[in-house]
Amino acid sequence: MKVKINNREYEFDQEISILDATKKAHIKIPTLCYSEKLEPFGSCRLCSVEIKGERTLKPACVTKITDGMEIFTHSQRVRKTRKTIMELIIASHGINCNLNCLTCSKSGSCEIKEVAEEIGVTEIRVPPISNGLPEDRSSYSIVREPQKCIVCNRCVRKCSEVQSVNILTIANRGPDTYVTTFMDKGMGNVDCTNCGQCILECPTGALHEVYQMDQVWAALSDESKYVIVQTAPAVRVAIAEEFGAEPGKIATKQMVAGLRLLGFDKVFDTNFAADLTIMEEANEFIERFKNNGKLPLFTSCSPGWVKFLEHNYPEFIDNLSSCKSPQQMFGAIAKTYYANKLGISKEDTVVVSVMPCTAKKFERVRSEMKGDVDYVLTTRELAKMFKLAGIDLLNVPQEEYDEPLGISSGAGAIFGATGGVMEAALRTAYEVITGKELEKLDFESVRGIEGIKQATVEIDGINLKVAVVNGLGNARKVLEMIKSGEKEFQFVEFMACPGGCIGGGGQPIPTNNEILLKRMQAIYEIDRSLSIRKSHENPAIKTLYEEFLGEPLSEKSHELLHTTYIARS
Amino acid sequence: MERIFLKKDLGKNLEEYDFLGLKNALKMQPQQVINKIKESGLRGRGGAGFPTGIKWETVFSIENDTKFIICNADEGEPGTFKDRFLMENLPFKVLEGIIISGYATGSKYGYIYIRGEYVEAIKIVKKAIEKLYEKNILGENILNSDFLFDLKLVRGAGAYVCGDETSLINSIEGDRGKSRIKPPLPVFEGLYGKPTVVNNVETLAAAAEIMSYDNNPYSQMGTEKSRGTKLVSISGDVNKPGVYEVEFGKLTVKDIVQEVAGGVKGEKIGFVIPGGISTEALTEDELNVPYTYENLQKMGSNIGSGGMIVVSSQRNHLEIVKNVSDFFRDETCGTCFPCREGNKNINKIVSDIYKRGYPTSHEIEIISDIQYAVSSAARCGFGESSLNLILSIFEKFYTKKVEV
Repeated sequence: MKVKINNREYEFDQEISILDATKKAHIKIPTLCYSEKLEPFGSCRLCSVEIKGERTLKPACVTKITDGMEIFTHSQRVRKTRKTIMELIIASHGINCNLNCLTCSKSGSCEIKEVAEEIGVTEIRVPPISNGLPEDRSSYSIVREPQKCIVCNRCVRKCSEVQSVNILTIANRGPDTYVTTFMDKGMGNVDCTNCGQCILECPTGALHEVYQMDQVWAALSDESKYVIVQTAPAVRVAIAEEFGAEPGKIATKQMVAGLRLLGFDKVFDTNFAADLTIMEEANEFIERFKNNGKLPLFTSCSPGWVKFLEHNYPEFIDNLSSCKSPQQMFGAIAKTYYANKLGISKEDTVVVSVMPCTAKKFERVRSEMKGDVDYVLTTRELAKMFKLAGIDLLNVPQEEYDEPLGISSGAGAIFGATGGVMEAALRTAYEVITGKELEKLDFESVRGIEGIKQATVEIDGINLKVAVVNGLGNARKVLEMIKSGEKEFQFVEFMACPGGCIGGGGQPIPTNNEILLKRMQAIYEIDRSLSIRKSHENPAIKTLYEEFLGEPLSEKSHELLHTTYIARS
Repeated sequence: MERIFLKKDLGKNLEEYDFLGLKNALKMQPQQVINKIKESGLRGRGGAGFPTGIKWETVFSIENDTKFIICNADEGEPGTFKDRFLMENLPFKVLEGIIISGYATGSKYGYIYIRGEYVEAIKIVKKAIEKLYEKNILGENILNSDFLFDLKLVRGAGAYVCGDETSLINSIEGDRGKSRIKPPLPVFEGLYGKPTVVNNVETLAAAAEIMSYDNNPYSQMGTEKSRGTKLVSISGDVNKPGVYEVEFGKLTVKDIVQEVAGGVKGEKIGFVIPGGISTEALTEDELNVPYTYENLQKMGSNIGSGGMIVVSSQRNHLEIVKNVSDFFRDETCGTCFPCREGNKNINKIVSDIYKRGYPTSHEIEIISDIQYAVSSAARCGFGESSLNLILSIFEKFYTKKVEV
């Protein structure tokens, strides 16, 4: 197929969209409602291009190339049209003294700012119009500021198309069109899983996490408190992006140093708790498998996924692992075992988590495990705190985690990527069941960014059917397959977010496929570089069991490390 | 003014109505029916003016077990009421047209989508459909042929944008009344993803009329590009507002106002909106234009839906602009940015102008730029045309026209 783009000839062998064609020709066309993971929607019209012989401009995202087409991507008409549309968008975006760019959650990652620059808007000739809609602060995880919303529908579509959760919708019509939740009830009162994918998708500051930075600052300056921080595996491979580094830059040691500079008394690693989770979960699986317990076993590390299941598939609650997530296990151990060691009371111990996840903010307040963790910061919030404290993250001297809750294995690290929990569990389950040493640690079949991965793993002559699922839309598909009997598995890992924790709702923006893959590579690089790569070989974990817990699934561990769930439908 | 085609059937009840068009059609092969419609030169009467025969032929040529005919009776253009006239006075002719188009395209299912505000028309058409089922003109073996056709009435909820065919289809499917992205065109993937013809009420009535003649008197009338007749609904400051059938090309817009509608009420004509409020206004000295698609287009305006509104020179033009802008502000579906934000912002500017009593050149420049962007990039015909009238009034009455 031959097309002319800006008078140059190009050849394509497929009937692709004009937007894809121009991308291949290295011409950038501005877009706002377009997102690579979503169906093209054709509503912002900023990608409109001129096509010879057509009366009106055509949106490049939804118009396919045809043989002989002559496309003009930046003609006079196109430029003039885009500029006016952009002016109108900015006028309706609620920018005034109270709602300005300086205080916006997306001040550093604002897409409309970027697009306005690409289009070359130099003045706004129309007066600003506010929709006057109130903020939605009903959720523990996500805040909505509808006055900044430009109704591009990306959050609505992400929630529906990718996550199949469908809690966001469009209400009213015409200029009164706005994005809201079912019956205007607010994010906290509908079946929201708190995954935060909507935040990643939002081109403006209309969606952001519930901030806990102020509470953490207060705890840090309270001398009576012993403030412990834990950092999730996916944070270390993403936080440097907030400081301008390439995606995939591993900044673990810089982050540890930065956290000490902020004033945390101890800097620990959620990876430690991930190893602990594996000890409990692998043994839980073995027990269920041997004693005809409820199978398949579903992992429970991702609180977005857990809430999704509680809302939509309560019949599967018994399939959920009773293990708390690593975040909660860490809190429970820190406030008992570790605080006891130091002789500090539970009340004076403050546990702060740094998570790639917004749902962790909700998990923290679940009544079943309240008190384990005090505050949850997203990767983005931690970056804001570093910036506020003047910490030049990329250049601070590198430091190591504290001991013993900072010691971890490669198995704990890979929790950050989809398939990681499964792989880590298999490494331990294999050796516990067979008593033999695993020759090849890498379970390649469960790796990668694909939404649903299936594998058969042989352990001691038994074929285990496992699946790894990321993204809630895929979770729904797999649950339906299990329900209908179409598929049978013994062990399934579910992650609410596409790509797993590296693609979490609390991660730096933008988070796209290309960036996800780089963060994922970094995660596996961390695993490869470690000498201990199996959870049960983590010496700190061994000591914890010897000194405190006894053995996996003991009474003590049940009391501290396991939880229950509720049907929410 | 003499009514050309419609007069003979006005006021007829079912017993008297002959269904000659349908009877003739059923004697022919579908392709022959299509050919006859093509020969007549009939263009869609909803506003876009697309050749009806070609639309039918496209759907006919697609092989699919399920195809649909939709009669678009969501007449919402302010000043346009000719479809209401047809449904209330000649319901059988409208329904006959729907059945004929079903036969010609190989569709077994039809919908007539009537705007919710047309309470009377809904009542009449509903009753007419029931009667046609009783008389074996709908259902199985229509008029003892082997043709089967079912027709259902759908009542719109009252959204102007549902007059856009893709919004209408969304509405029938139970979705929000908002336009779909084209392509795919409804003729390829319309209602429930099936090939669908969407025709205006008047188009279908005209098709029924055309089929009722052995010869083709319709094609003998009008001009080459505007054949046959057109129903014009005239309202505003005229002495005899109403629905009239006029032959294309025979009269000028001025003739229609002066002779057909009895002349202007008041001092003199301020301006005429020739085809509903999404068409550009014509000033008094622009009215000597023959009433045809091509001639009005040359004047920068359009036949549109045929809803002619006459505004006397004594009226406050800004009040009309404000009214029109209020309407479009409320009726944009809100999906595409240019239309939603453009109509919202222009409405604010127009309100300011109305309060002040005159526009500034800065405001006219902004309005012109917004209209340019919206008409270039909106998602459907609604948006594309929503600012035409407003801008034309400002250009013609509030700036000195620059000759090029």
